Amino acid sequence: MSILLKLKKVNLKYQTGKDTIKVLNNIDLITKKKETISIVGESGSGKTSLIMLIGGLEQATSGKIFFQDHEITKLNEDEVSAIRKKNIGIIFQSFYLIPNYTAVENVALTLELNKFKNPEKEAKLLLDRFGLKHRFNNLPSQLSGGEQQRVAIARSIAMKPELILADEPTGNLDTENSLMISDILFNYVKEEGSSLIMVTHDPKLANKAKRKIKIKDGKIK
Amino acid sequence: MEKSNNSSEVNLIFKYAFKDLSRNYKKIISIIITLFISLFILSAIFTIEDSLKKELNDNAKALLGGDLEIDYNRNEGNLKLVTKVKEFATISQMIEFSTMVATINRDKNKSLFTRIKTVDEKYPLYGTVEYEPEGAFDRMQNEPNTVLINESLSKTLNLKINEQIKVQDKLFTVIGIVKSVPDVSGFVAFGDWALAGKQTLEILKLNGIGSFLNYEYKVKFNENDDEQEIEERIENIFKDDQKVKLRYPENSASGLKRIINNFSQFLSLVSISAMLIAGIGVANTLLSFINQNNMSIAVRKAVGFYSGDIKILYYLQLLILLFVVTTLAYGSSFLIVPFVDQYLSDGLGLNVLPVFSIINFIKIFLIGLLVLIIFSIPTINSIDQVKASNLFRNVFQNLEFYYSKKSVILSFLLLSILVLVFSYNSENPIYSIGYFAAFFVCLGVFFLLSKLIIFFLKKFRSTPNISLKVSIKNITQTKSITPITIMSLGLGVTLLLTLALVGTNFKREIAKSIPNIAPDYFFVGIQKGEKEKFETNIFEMDPNAKVEIVPMVSSGIVKINGINPNTYISSDNDSYWVIGSDRRSSWVNEVPEDNPITEGKWWDLTKSNELQISLDAKVAQDLKINLGDIFTLNIYGREIDGKIVNFRSVDYRDLSINFAMLFNPQFANNIPHEYLATTKFKNIENFDEISMLEVLPSLSMIKIADYLNKVTSVLNKVFMAVTLISAVTIIIGLIVISSAIMVQGKVKEYQNLVFKIIGFTKRDVILSSIIEFLIIFNSVILIATFFAVIASKFIMENLFELVWKFDFKVLLTLGFSIGLVTLLLIMLTNLKYLNPKVYPLIRNQ
Repeated sequence: MSILLKLKKVNLKYQTGKDTIKVLNNIDLITKKKETISIVGESGSGKTSLIMLIGGLEQATSGKIFFQDHEITKLNEDEVSAIRKKNIGIIFQSFYLIPNYTAVENVALTLELNKFKNPEKEAKLLLDRFGLKHRFNNLPSQLSGGEQQRVAIARSIAMKPELILADEPTGNLDTENSLMISDILFNYVKEEGSSLIMVTHDPKLANKAKRKIKIKDGKIK
Repeated sequence: MEKSNNSSEVNLIFKYAFKDLSRNYKKIISIIITLFISLFILSAIFTIEDSLKKELNDNAKALLGGDLEIDYNRNEGNLKLVTKVKEFATISQMIEFSTMVATINRDKNKSLFTRIKTVDEKYPLYGTVEYEPEGAFDRMQNEPNTVLINESLSKTLNLKINEQIKVQDKLFTVIGIVKSVPDVSGFVAFGDWALAGKQTLEILKLNGIGSFLNYEYKVKFNENDDEQEIEERIENIFKDDQKVKLRYPENSASGLKRIINNFSQFLSLVSISAMLIAGIGVANTLLSFINQNNMSIAVRKAVGFYSGDIKILYYLQLLILLFVVTTLAYGSSFLIVPFVDQYLSDGLGLNVLPVFSIINFIKIFLIGLLVLIIFSIPTINSIDQVKASNLFRNVFQNLEFYYSKKSVILSFLLLSILVLVFSYNSENPIYSIGYFAAFFVCLGVFFLLSKLIIFFLKKFRSTPNISLKVSIKNITQTKSITPITIMSLGLGVTLLLTLALVGTNFKREIAKSIPNIAPDYFFVGIQKGEKEKFETNIFEMDPNAKVEIVPMVSSGIVKINGINPNTYISSDNDSYWVIGSDRRSSWVNEVPEDNPITEGKWWDLTKSNELQISLDAKVAQDLKINLGDIFTLNIYGREIDGKIVNFRSVDYRDLSINFAMLFNPQFANNIPHEYLATTKFKNIENFDEISMLEVLPSLSMIKIADYLNKVTSVLNKVFMAVTLISAVTIIIGLIVISSAIMVQGKVKEYQNLVFKIIGFTKRDVILSSIIEFLIIFNSVILIATFFAVIASKFIMENLFELVWKFDFKVLLTLGFSIGLVTLLLIMLTNLKYLNPKVYPLIRNQ
């Protein structure tokens, strides 16, 4: 399997007043295509920061991050956006749906951005696949937490990305919904051959991944 | 928490209101600024108007020059009747006239057309004359050929005390400088003038109509007399004298009062515009603020606060804020009075002092409160939409204005009170009520426009351009704030355009060059035997000068169709001046080039023994005169009937010779007359006023450029005031426009965050914002231009009585500039939302 992602001595620091907080410390990580990885660790250990760096939503203080052939640490914001919109899907614990867009519109937006011919039709197919046929025209506020997360997943995988980044995807859901969401995610990466990097506190979910990484005090253990 | 119906709960709400306000005042700084500016304008206008009116009322008798004024205008009047009044009251006679004043014994002498007021030793009956040096006023009364000149004349002719001047062919000595006289009402407020003793008129032997003589008798009642009784007695004495006009203190400074009233009417409308627009701004900012506090409201509800309690909490904060801001704004308005005082004391000798009025304070607070409540009702009602359950569902809920039937009725009631409070006591309640109606019509039209835009855009949703698609979606989405953005932007842009159009029209009036056909000089007071001498002298100095000489006679309209002319027109009509006093009229053989006939025929040569009259068409329309009507004119004491045979279109602004009435020369040539002349020089530098005066000492010369400069200087001062107040209102307009964007702030920031996550570039986001603005602005500007054109035309023509002109180029430039500035403002306000930092947001920081 070829390399999809490579992190070389990546550091992330924050300045709060006079204090410097080291969030990530010399992270080295290589992931291959179709690999599923779970990241575990205590709160504040740097898990979410790591996937934000990978997704290009945050800039590393030092070190290099390669995604496929691109060194994303060298690219500007728009260039990273261009990679993200085609190759990286992100799922959040808080869903981050656009409140005044319907379920279909939320999903179709990614497709439209990538100039799909029938974005709404594609979006409906995806939502249907996740059991949301009856919720096409509902606003996020009219959906349950599980339904909102399914819409968010549909939106993130709409472009069939090489890599899916998930930050506590079941963190806001009950057991039943958590199970459903994890099944959807893992079945999808299996069927489509995407890679998945997932931050979670849930040991069961973490164990579903082929590889498990533990982070402590900003370092991979 | 139980419903707040006992004192401890009220205390709790007060405690939280103060706590929230002290912690959040930085977040609502734009509410504070908007409120302060608008209340400051309102306070300043109320304070200045009150201070001015108090000064005018306190000095009404001084401004009139007595308890009563007997005005005979251009005639000496019936002295027998005046003597009768002298039996029980003190009378001071005053005669004003205009003539040339020239320097002597200089290398290059200068002359100036000057108004001179001759007064007797009883002057002034009320108030004081301020002059220097000491004793100069008494010297002027006792020593012949002495004058006191005002500061402006002293500066213009560079005259010093004890310097000699020539008035007509007589020498006078300047023995002092007058700083102010109490009775500015019947006198020249701005410009050049002088005071002289009563003997002056005899020395100069003035009698021609070119001297613009004006006879007035000021009356002072004895101290213990009943004013009303004496007034009635005097009215009785003059009841059969049609030439006299009696004036009372309440009529004093009527011209000045009219200017103040018109100007304060305009300023009041601007200030209420500022208040109403500020109200929209407050509503927007408050909604944005409540949206920011969405979570804390939900938490409060979760711990047991009633929705009503939370709303009271917000109303209370607004009330506290309004009280503090009103106090500050009203207090600060007193700082403006010294500036007004300085400006007015220079020209008019009025000393304006700040007048504290608790009624004004309450009125300002009440107007502020009404505006605030009217616009806050739908905003604060949005609190009802916040659900404590949102805390569990992790849903970001954007609040929107919320109207219930009850709140609509309440808003309407409060609005009616606001209209009544504002219109009551306003100079012209009809204008004020009309203004409110227009304001809400504008609001309604912009609301309909927003609905129309949404309706049409919904049909254009299939477009491959993602930025366009997002902007259309933003405009048309459910719960879109497009209507409020369009209403705010529309009213803001309308106000900006209106004030800009008023400003540019003012500027054009100020910069208006002398019309091409206008002469360089007007010459008045050319006697019958001096006509040739005048022409010879002009042509000696400039052989190529273009001279126009017309005969001139003074006549008064005594009757129209046999009845009193006052029954035809009210004294506040624009054309009242035609019958108000004696008018100068002329006669010509041919129709004047710039006075085309609009109706009727030129002179009927077969009826040369009858007086035929050609009348100004506008005057005819105002007086409701038809062709064939008869004017009975008093010419040199003889009453002559004249028939109206035609109407002419007269444009007095071209500054050429224009008369409201022209007579047929075949008849009028026999009337004793003098001449009026205009001259347009080829080489104006060859014309020497002093040499002209040496040949014709009684000649009066009015240089058009000097006259226009005086008008320009007054207009400039008004323009400065208009610009200043407009600039302040424009600031409010801009704050409101940005507040409309702030309402969307949180949603925009969130939306752009999601866009960024899924791969939108900064360019896509900015482009969609620009497209959204352009769609809205382009629709708004058309309607706003329409309203602004109507409003600015009304303001210029009705309130300032100046010319309004439609200038497409100016409108285009203004529209483009306002669009650009608004776009920049929106982009600046939006900047932090356009490219949000993902990490702090995701981390809920």
